[in-house]
Amino acid sequence: MRRVAITGLGIVSPVGTGSATFFESLLRGKSGIRSVEVNFPTGPEKVLMGNIDFNPDEHFAKAKLLTMDRVSQFALVAAREAMAQAGLGAALVGLKPERFGVSVGTGSGGAGSLEAAYFSLLEQKVMRLRPMTVVLAMNNAMAAHLSMEFGLKGPSSTVSNACASSATAIGDAFRQIRHGYADAMLVGGSDALLNKGTIKAWQAMHTLAKPHADGPQASCRPFSSDRSGLVLSEGAAMLVLEDWDTAKRRGATILAELAGYASTTDAHHLTQPEAQGQAGAMTLALRDAALNALDIGYLNAHGTATDVGDVVETNAIKLAFGAAAHALPISSTKALHGHSMGAAGAMEFLASVMTLRSGQLPATAFLQTPDPRCDLDYIPLPGRESKDLRAAMSNSFAFGGSNAVLIAKAA
Amino acid sequence: MNSDLINLFAETFGIAEEKLLPGATLESLGLDSLAVIEFLFQIEDQFHIQIPDQANPPRTLDEMVQLIEPLMPKDQTGSPGAAA
Repeated sequence: MRRVAITGLGIVSPVGTGSATFFESLLRGKSGIRSVEVNFPTGPEKVLMGNIDFNPDEHFAKAKLLTMDRVSQFALVAAREAMAQAGLGAALVGLKPERFGVSVGTGSGGAGSLEAAYFSLLEQKVMRLRPMTVVLAMNNAMAAHLSMEFGLKGPSSTVSNACASSATAIGDAFRQIRHGYADAMLVGGSDALLNKGTIKAWQAMHTLAKPHADGPQASCRPFSSDRSGLVLSEGAAMLVLEDWDTAKRRGATILAELAGYASTTDAHHLTQPEAQGQAGAMTLALRDAALNALDIGYLNAHGTATDVGDVVETNAIKLAFGAAAHALPISSTKALHGHSMGAAGAMEFLASVMTLRSGQLPATAFLQTPDPRCDLDYIPLPGRESKDLRAAMSNSFAFGGSNAVLIAKAA
Repeated sequence: MNSDLINLFAETFGIAEEKLLPGATLESLGLDSLAVIEFLFQIEDQFHIQIPDQANPPRTLDEMVQLIEPLMPKDQTGSPGAAA
């Protein structure tokens, strides 16, 4: 089996565009969550969200934008950063296009374009929809745009496993390289679902956070006794993965090793998570990376700040890590960047890689009074420094019961 | 060339009007076949006309104008946004 190197990182997030800006925000506890007035057909409402001030004209020509939903725009901007860091921004020097693929995740694909189409059809009663509607809305559009932008002709796929989409996509790509089907893969995830229909659908689930007394920015409070739910956000994170020896040969800077991945399914409930399934994914990922529990120096939790989810994840970590669970430093960075759904796994794995490289552990922001049922080391602000960080784990658990766990090792 | 069409073309694709010469190929202006279809759709919407399906879609700006111009209403100024 081949080793897999991570050689590029890129991100568009509610706490900043660019991996350095993003990680700096996490370390400083800068929140990207705010209260935004949304004009629903029934009237304006304040909605908590991690939305991004994103001007597509800064990144794309107008003709190109006609064919791209916001979800693909995020993915491309993040990918340009990742490919540039990997030294592949201008040309695929040292890599064959046929051996370079794309593996991405999205929960909702071009949801905004689909909503716009339905609005014009059902409300404005137009006779015909925009010719671009299908290619804007289809879930694999971003994979297509990514392959065309960089000329990547290897395998391409789009995973839609709700909140575990991009972690699964990264894991799948890891195996493609490990087992020799590709030499490099552009991986990650993107979601842009802050449209009226999606917001209303989530409100109906009764899982969204309420505004906190300390201000809207402090409303997502994973593992806190006063948490009230998740906050929807948007964005994309992309990474370049490649065969270790290929990366070495072409002189790329190896940022970390993608050492282990596993996925399991709860087969239990559409929305209620289960500790056994989550623990299974963590245990299998450790085995896949040939590591033991004590080797993991940081865990980026799924930690969405729902009542049930945070408790089940706490129990799952205890099951998987046993006696080591209480000494394991853990945080949920969703407190700051919110829940970007299909992009979340990639964003948090990127945060884990940057944690591994810097030795700076981001905090679970706003954690003042932990829920007694969430009694692990969920790092409060201002975060922490780690002297000997060798491996980091990132958890992604989804509605539908999909669990995906990734492990990065220091290069 | 019809100035209303050229204005709409320039606005839709963000291309400076001085680059919109009759012989310019749509490809050289950065437009692929999908972008051309999207533009024809906008024209239909804007001027309330129907452009028949083309076996060979226009390749140059001139060909596009020749396709659209005969279909445009004679008595309508059709400035962008007028029909919106």
